Amino acid sequence: MNKIRRWVPLQRLREFSLVIILIIVVLIFGNQIDNYYTPRTFNRISSTVALITLVAVGQTLVVLTRNVDLSVGSVVGFTAYYVGRYVSKNEDISPVMLAALAMSIGAGMGLINGLLVAYGRIPAIVVTLGTMAIYRGVLVEYSDSKSVATRQLPDWIKELPQESILKYGEYELRALPAIALVAAIIFFFLLLYTSFGRRLYAIGSSPEAANLAGIRAPRMVTLAFTLCGAMAGLGGMLYLARFGTITVDAARGMELQVVAAVVVGGVNILGGSGTVLGAMLGAILIGTIEQSLIRMNINEFWKDALLGLCIIIAVSVDRILINQLTPWWSRTELQRMPEEHHAAA
Amino acid sequence: MTADPFLEIRNVSKQFGATKALESVSLTLYPGEVHALLGENGAGKSTLIKIMTGIYQPDSGEILLQGRPISLHNSAQAQNHGIAAIYQEPLVFPDLNIAENIFISHQRRNPMVRWGKLYRDAEKVLAQLGVALDVRALARGLPLAAQQTVEIAKAISMDVRVLIMDEPTASLSIHEVKHLFGLVRNLRKAGVAILFISHRLDEVFEIADRVTVFRDGQFISTAPVAEVTPERAIQDMVGREIGDIFVKEPSPRGDVVLSVKDLSREPRFRNINFELHAGEVLGLAGLVGAGRTDVALALFGIAPAQNGHITYLGKEVRLHSPKQATQMGIVYVPEDRRQHGLVLPMSLTANISLPSVKNYRNQVGMVQHDKEQTTAEHYRQQLTIRTSSLSMPAGKLSGGNQQKVVLSKWLNTNPRLLILDEPTRGIDVGAKQEVHRLINNLAQQGMAILMISSDLPEVLAMSDRILVMREGQQMGIFERHEATQETIMAAAIGQTLERAANE
Repeated sequence: MNKIRRWVPLQRLREFSLVIILIIVVLIFGNQIDNYYTPRTFNRISSTVALITLVAVGQTLVVLTRNVDLSVGSVVGFTAYYVGRYVSKNEDISPVMLAALAMSIGAGMGLINGLLVAYGRIPAIVVTLGTMAIYRGVLVEYSDSKSVATRQLPDWIKELPQESILKYGEYELRALPAIALVAAIIFFFLLLYTSFGRRLYAIGSSPEAANLAGIRAPRMVTLAFTLCGAMAGLGGMLYLARFGTITVDAARGMELQVVAAVVVGGVNILGGSGTVLGAMLGAILIGTIEQSLIRMNINEFWKDALLGLCIIIAVSVDRILINQLTPWWSRTELQRMPEEHHAAA
Repeated sequence: MTADPFLEIRNVSKQFGATKALESVSLTLYPGEVHALLGENGAGKSTLIKIMTGIYQPDSGEILLQGRPISLHNSAQAQNHGIAAIYQEPLVFPDLNIAENIFISHQRRNPMVRWGKLYRDAEKVLAQLGVALDVRALARGLPLAAQQTVEIAKAISMDVRVLIMDEPTASLSIHEVKHLFGLVRNLRKAGVAILFISHRLDEVFEIADRVTVFRDGQFISTAPVAEVTPERAIQDMVGREIGDIFVKEPSPRGDVVLSVKDLSREPRFRNINFELHAGEVLGLAGLVGAGRTDVALALFGIAPAQNGHITYLGKEVRLHSPKQATQMGIVYVPEDRRQHGLVLPMSLTANISLPSVKNYRNQVGMVQHDKEQTTAEHYRQQLTIRTSSLSMPAGKLSGGNQQKVVLSKWLNTNPRLLILDEPTRGIDVGAKQEVHRLINNLAQQGMAILMISSDLPEVLAMSDRILVMREGQQMGIFERHEATQETIMAAAIGQTLERAANE
């Protein structure tokens, strides 16, 4: 038992419990919905999950530092529209350049958030609530309330969501989930293996200690917001690919799904702990519940209420489990070496 | 001490608002010495540490490193110069594991984390200290002694040249202290300059080479430890000008209002015993962290005691909430009035009526503002609160007037027992005297008063009896006539009793 405690961090246990919950949720829906276990369901859910995941991994960085970015929905909406408009006029732009454009726009918007939070010392919830409205307003102004229509887009972008990367029977891994997966893996390594990532944990874990340890928190926080914006920008391009038609209302309310995914995934909303893997599992859970409720033809309002209920249940269960387990799981004793040993040290 | 000084502090001053935290102090640290810094609460030790570690910048004066002036703008720069500090309350990152906690400040050298190497290096550093800790475990929930070990490991791993230790032994057992001193001696042998801050005089005499005393932000003395006696050190620490402080007049001692028997709340305080009479002021003296506020919080029901008996007005009671305490006539005026005493954006009137707002409702439950106004006006005159308007936000007032508002708010609930926590901290001399006069008048009217204060002249002038605490223990109760600054300070740092306790 001690060995398990030593080698399996509590976080892994948390993620494991999310997987269990996910299996239970799928079994319940499978029981309620006819023809649930089909490739079609899988593809629908996986494209929704892909979008949420992409934005949620960026959000994870921000939440780790005790902040939150509520403007991501508007950033997704704006970049989706802007990129759609741009590609309809410049059909020969390469996919990579278009993605770079989308990410730069998002990064710019994230940078504004980050500077205001880190250097302006305005609470993140206030800043991003404001920019959420402002970025949406900019979109309305820029678009002149017109929409981007699917027929204006080049074929490659329309076909992107159907592009299959891996195939197993009729189940395929399509391009959108594949991109989200790659992004998640990159961010997973960023948080686990770079000192930038570790410092984000440190800042969220104890801002005071971070300051005394000489960590430049404002710079790190700004960078976290910028990366979060860049991921939302990329999310905007994929949103365009998936839906084709982009109105000024695009991705409105997505920030709530994203924050929900992050929190359900066990990223502490008070900063300091959580992983990309958790956030991704959270996104899968949220996406699955949402799409399955749509399949059940449940009224829109009830769908949102049920989703809300699921979030509260998931987070409460997680809190209770973790609070019960933490003291027992991470018990560490200070052992002294025999006297002669440290006399030599 | 043939070597050149490693770090010199020259004529450094620092002011916060009207308070002079440091007035032209100097301190020299030589490589391979343990230099003890002594001083009462508020002597300026913490400010000096923060200046040495780059958290505060001095208003004037200079810092010399190996003879060259340096300026420190943040703790990263201080660390680059080899200056590190271990704080009284260790500041670990609860969500990071122990290895990361040790090396967090180093990571700028390498943008990628190599976990295997990190764990091995962390184990090596801990082995140097002669301890074994699971370096993969999160720091959350680590006992204080282990957290301190992590902090020391952190400092050692950084090639530290100057190590500041702010009361490192405060939370350690005797065995752990012995171990820590072994580490300190090793560091000294390695040529590190150590600034050692402790309230435990016997420890200072055991480990230090030189001793410096600060008082009220001023440099008092530096001497080799052989030339210092405990008596002289205490005299230097407390030799404060008494000035024209208001002295409480004798008041008739009435019945016992509060009697406390064997009151304990581990680990904050244990076995506290006293009686408090109507019309009496009982001073509660001791150093920061002695557990005085915790006793007050237990009596006010915020952090109830685990063991012991409280008898109030002849009946044994269990105090479990501030609401209950207030209803019974026990009120607490907190030390931090801006955070805990007042609602800063609210008007004076609303602040004063807040705890008793129920009494200001009309039949349909609406608050009657005219009645509130009358009360506020009453206290404005009685306590001479200086303000242009009673509808001004409380946050705009000076510290002394704010304190009067807090007092008004609680006096308006007609208490029998008034607990004051540092009632005159941070307020100017004039307002201080007014608060002292008020305490005097309340005692004359028969109120029982428990007054926590770190200001020794205040304690001596205002109390009928003085209870001294040290590290959660009651060191004794002194009658007013037998107490002096020296006896109180000696009890607060455990000077006379320390040896007996160590036996």
